[in-house]
Amino acid sequence: MLVEPGQKAKIKVKVNGVLHEVEVEPRKLLVDFLREDLNLTGSKVGCDTSTCGACTVLVDGKSVKSCTMLAVQADGKEIVTIEGLSSDSKLSPIQQAFKDNFALQCGFCTAGMIVQTHYILSERKEITEEEARDLIHGNICRCTGYQNIINAIMDASRRMRQ
Amino acid sequence: MYPAQIGYYKPDSLGDALDFLEGKDAKVLAGGMSIIPMLKLRILRPKYLVDIGDLKELSFIKEGEVTAIGATTRHRDLASHKIPGLELIQETASKVGDVQVRNMGTVGGSLCNADPSADYPAVFTALEARMVLRSRSGVREVDANEFFKGPFSTSLKQDEVLEQIKVRSLKGYYQTYKKIVRRAGDYALVGLALAIKLDSGIVKDVRISFTGVDEKPYRAREAEKALMDSKLDESKISEASNLASRGANPPSDSRGSSSYRREVMRRLLKNTLEGILNAS
Ligand SMILES: Cc1cc2nc3c(=O)[nH]c(=O)nc-3n(C[C@H](O)[C@H](O)[C@H](O)COP(=O)(O)OP(=O)(O)OC[C@H]3O[C@@H](n4cnc5c(N)ncnc54)[C@H](O)[C@@H]3O)c2cc1C
Ligand code: FES
Ligand code: FES
Repeated sequence: MLVEPGQKAKIKVKVNGVLHEVEVEPRKLLVDFLREDLNLTGSKVGCDTSTCGACTVLVDGKSVKSCTMLAVQADGKEIVTIEGLSSDSKLSPIQQAFKDNFALQCGFCTAGMIVQTHYILSERKEITEEEARDLIHGNICRCTGYQNIINAIMDASRRMRQ
Repeated sequence: MYPAQIGYYKPDSLGDALDFLEGKDAKVLAGGMSIIPMLKLRILRPKYLVDIGDLKELSFIKEGEVTAIGATTRHRDLASHKIPGLELIQETASKVGDVQVRNMGTVGGSLCNADPSADYPAVFTALEARMVLRSRSGVREVDANEFFKGPFSTSLKQDEVLEQIKVRSLKGYYQTYKKIVRRAGDYALVGLALAIKLDSGIVKDVRISFTGVDEKPYRAREAEKALMDSKLDESKISEASNLASRGANPPSDSRGSSSYRREVMRRLLKNTLEGILNAS
C-alpha cells in the first residue's frame, strides 16, 4: 500500500465483529478513528502521550494504546473496544466484577482498565495479586487508589474460572 | 495531538522496503511506540512512513551458538521466551514499559531509537552483539559498541534497515539486568546489564554496561579490568563499583541529578555483585 501525503488510505478493519471499509488519512490515530469516525466513544483519551492506558483496545487479541497507533496500521486487523465486550446489554463477568467491587469513581479510566483486564485474563486464568498489579501498571487511575480495581481483577479471575 | 500530514507505505517484503527507502525522506515505522509520540509532538516530520511492523521475515528468534533475533520481534515475544545462554534478554524485555507497550514495541525499534535511558542498548552492548544492517546496496555488520553514537543517534544510514541482531551465547555466565525506576513503567534512572563467568571464585570474564548514565550505553571497562582474573571478594567488589561510577558521565534531569545517579550506579553494581558472591 502506498499513500501519498495528503491522500487517504483505504483500509479494512473489523471492529467489534463489524467489518468497515473506510478511507482515512495516514496521520489519523486509531483512537480518533474509533471515536470520531465510528462513534465508539467508550475508549477515552486521557493523556494522549501513551502513558495512562485509558485508550486501551484489543488489536488481534493483544492490548494496545490506541492513541499511539495509526488507524492505517490496523488495516486487515480485528479490533475489540469496550463496546464489544458485552452482548445483549448484559455485562461481561469482568464488567460485573468492576461494578460489584466499586472499582470505579469518575469512570474515565474504566474502559481501558476493563479492556486490559480482559487481555490479562485471556492470557492466563490464574494470577496473583502482585502479578495483577504488574500487568495493569500501564493503566492509571486518579480516583480509586487502585485497591478496588485489584479486588475486581482478582474477583473477575475467580468468576471466570468457575 | 495530530501528526503533520504524512505519506504511508506498507511494503510486502524487506526488499520492497529497501527499494522505497532509497533516496527518500522516509522513516521506518516498526512498533510506533517511540516514533508516533515524536510525530505527534512534530519533533519528526518525514514525508513518508515505511511500515515494517508486520513483516514476518523480520520477526524471529533463531537459537544457536550465535542466536539471531529479527528486528521486529516484539518485546512480548522476547519476554515470554527464554533463550538458553542469553537469559538476561528475557529478563530485560519483561522490564520494558508496560504490557501494552510490550505488545507493540520491537527490539529493533528500541535499538534504532537509541534513547540514552532505554534498556536494550546497554544489554546488547554488554553482550557484544552484532547489528546486521541492510540497504539496497548491501549488508554490513556493526558492533553494538560502535552502533550507538549518542542520544537518539546511531550509525544507521537513511536508507538502511536493522534486519537482525546476532548474539553469541554466554552459557555458564551469571547474567542479569537490574533496573532502578522512580515509578512502575518508567524509563530507567539507572540500569545495569551484567554478565560474569566465575571459576572457583575467580572472575574468568565479565561485562558491565549501564544505561541512563551517559549519552549512550556506558561500558565500565575499568571496573571490568579490575575484576578480571581476580578472586571475587568484598574488596574487589568495592573497588570495581567505585571505578564504574567514577568513569561515567551521568546527566542531571527530571529523573535524578548526576551525583545521585553516580551513587545509584555504585550501589547497584556493588549489591548485584555481592548477591552473586553470596550465591556462588
Ligand atoms: C509508555 C511507554 C513506556 C516505555 N518504557 C520504556 C522502557 O521502560 N524502556 C525502554 O527501553 N523503552 C521504553 N519505551 C520505548 C519502547 O521500548 C519502544 O517500543 C521502543 O523504543 C521503540 O520500538 P518501536 O518498535 O516501537 O519503534 P518505532 O517507534 O516504530 O521506531 C523508533 C525509531 O527507530 C527507527 N526504526 C525502528 N525499527 C527500525 C529498523 N528495523 N531499522 C531501522 N530503523 C528502525 C524508526 O524509524 C524510529 O526512528 C516506552 C515507550 C512508551 C510509549
Ligand atoms: S490516552 Fe492513550 S495512553 Fe493515555
Ligand atoms: S475512576 Fe476516575 S480515573 Fe479511575
